[in-house]
Amino acid sequence: MDISLLFAQFMSGLARGMMFFLIASGLSLIFGVMNILNFAHATLWLAGAYFCYTFWNLMQDYGFGLWVSIALASLVMAAIGWVIEVLLLRRVYERKLPEQLLLTYGLILVLGDLIKLTFGVEDKVIVRPPLVAGPIFLFDTPFDSYFVFVILLGVSVAAGLWWFLKKTKYGHIVRAAVFSREMVSALGIRIPRIYTGVFVLGVFIAGLAGAVQAPVGSITLGMDMAVVVQAFCVVVIGGFGSLLGTFVGAMIVGEVYSFSILFWPEGALVLIFVVTAFILIVRPWGLFGTPMRT
Amino acid sequence: MKRYWWLGLVFVIGLFLPRVVGEFWVHVAIEILILGLFAVSFNMIFGYMGQLSFGHAAYYGVGAYATGLLMVKASLPLPIGLVASMAAAGICALIIGYFCVRLTGIYFAILTLAFGQMLYYIIFQWYSFTGGDNGLQGINPPALLFGATAYYYFTLCVVTAALIVMWYISRSPFGYTMRSIRENADRTRFIGINVRRYMLINFVVAAMFAGLAGGLWGPFNRSVAPDLCNWHQSGIPVFMAVIGGPMGFFGPMIGSVIYTFLMAFVTGFTQYWPLVIGSIIIFVVLFMPGGVLGLAEARTKWFGSRRMEEDIDEPTGTEKR
Repeated sequence: MDISLLFAQFMSGLARGMMFFLIASGLSLIFGVMNILNFAHATLWLAGAYFCYTFWNLMQDYGFGLWVSIALASLVMAAIGWVIEVLLLRRVYERKLPEQLLLTYGLILVLGDLIKLTFGVEDKVIVRPPLVAGPIFLFDTPFDSYFVFVILLGVSVAAGLWWFLKKTKYGHIVRAAVFSREMVSALGIRIPRIYTGVFVLGVFIAGLAGAVQAPVGSITLGMDMAVVVQAFCVVVIGGFGSLLGTFVGAMIVGEVYSFSILFWPEGALVLIFVVTAFILIVRPWGLFGTPMRT
Repeated sequence: MKRYWWLGLVFVIGLFLPRVVGEFWVHVAIEILILGLFAVSFNMIFGYMGQLSFGHAAYYGVGAYATGLLMVKASLPLPIGLVASMAAAGICALIIGYFCVRLTGIYFAILTLAFGQMLYYIIFQWYSFTGGDNGLQGINPPALLFGATAYYYFTLCVVTAALIVMWYISRSPFGYTMRSIRENADRTRFIGINVRRYMLINFVVAAMFAGLAGGLWGPFNRSVAPDLCNWHQSGIPVFMAVIGGPMGFFGPMIGSVIYTFLMAFVTGFTQYWPLVIGSIIIFVVLFMPGGVLGLAEARTKWFGSRRMEEDIDEPTGTEKR
């Protein structure tokens, strides 16, 4: 066990953590503001991956094809998110938790089959452009160059979200809505519009995450089923509605997974749930959340 | 008891069912009974205790594996397997529930989900013991129960007995304590009831009956797979309880009839069953809150007679926590 192997494992954990962050940040944002736990989030993520493949397939002769596809797939997912919010979610904001969960659970089943109908059952593989195809060497340790892109993208999305929430007027409104919906609407701000915006933003990031995931391995039906629970874990560890928490939670889950693969491969997935359950028992509101919701 | 004459009628119809319908529908009826038991046990937590468990399939799966492993690896008879299923699910639920009952609402849902997934991955990864994602094959019921009709009668008896026990639990002081915890846990605590302990007992009992349902499933299906305890399996009893109406004892059973019939019917001509059931779930949530029983009660006068009023104890709404 030498230091370069540990370093490589650390870096791959970082990349995995960034992937988790991209998926979970939208989930956390939607829950924090709208109080809705979106079971279908990872299914939307998977749809983003499939859309990325479809666009890439049309443009695969060009070097920039993949990058354009990632952008287009995210935009398509944002549009789909808008449709879902307007047609379905809007009607259940006043309902009880089980009904909301059941609605997004039904959405998983419907979207999963729609994906199957639209894109077929074969696995999809994206051939990466030369820029991110080979390994690069960090301190003489080989490292997938695409993961460098993933890490950079994750950090920029985190920074962008932070800037949006902390520095812009809309971000302030969104953060205020996390604390008190009534107060914000009393100030004359249209809460439904904020909700639509937040959901669309969340699904946009989910689509982006899916599109970025697409060239890593092959895209397979049913990938979303495991990912959504892991994304829940990330959000729970960090604390619902906290951006910093989601980032830290994603890094913890990424690194725990990456290192347990090295030492105890069978237990990797179990360990994530052990950590999550521990956090939930000791601090139900997570590492960076606020203990206000029950 | 005079008001429950229709239950006897249902049981008698159940007894004569295999004489009337073909073998396919006997299989469907077995599935209705097993999934119905699973859903009624889930409703002990959901309807009576007022908490949403999204990891209930884990106990179903543990029960299925307990019976399966004992029958395949130790060649023990089915009844011992069923008892072991209840014990195994109960022990798992005792450990997991000890932590879960400390939380409520969405955190309860997520913690049960997280623990459920933990059990799922343990079963999924432990190749030497559980067979991993290959599952366990060759769980054959004893020769006496080998045919569909025989296994149907066996299931009918076991499920009826379990339902009677759960019915008495729901009518006992314990059952009313659960309702009172659902309505207002703080006030229940004030009158000197150890809320967490009661919730834990209820959680364990519910898991034991889920384990029993799982134990019945293995020999019926001749195999078990880890997917039985995956989290999307936990959505099925939630749906059954919501469509049948969680406030009545038999609501989830009606939900099971609807769900299983639909599945048998729809999978006959399309592979896109999830699309159909997903659309139905969305439709039910949007347009039929309260489920079929709630809808029937609202529409027809005779259904909303005294019998239903005792069954349906709606939250008053003024004392919500």
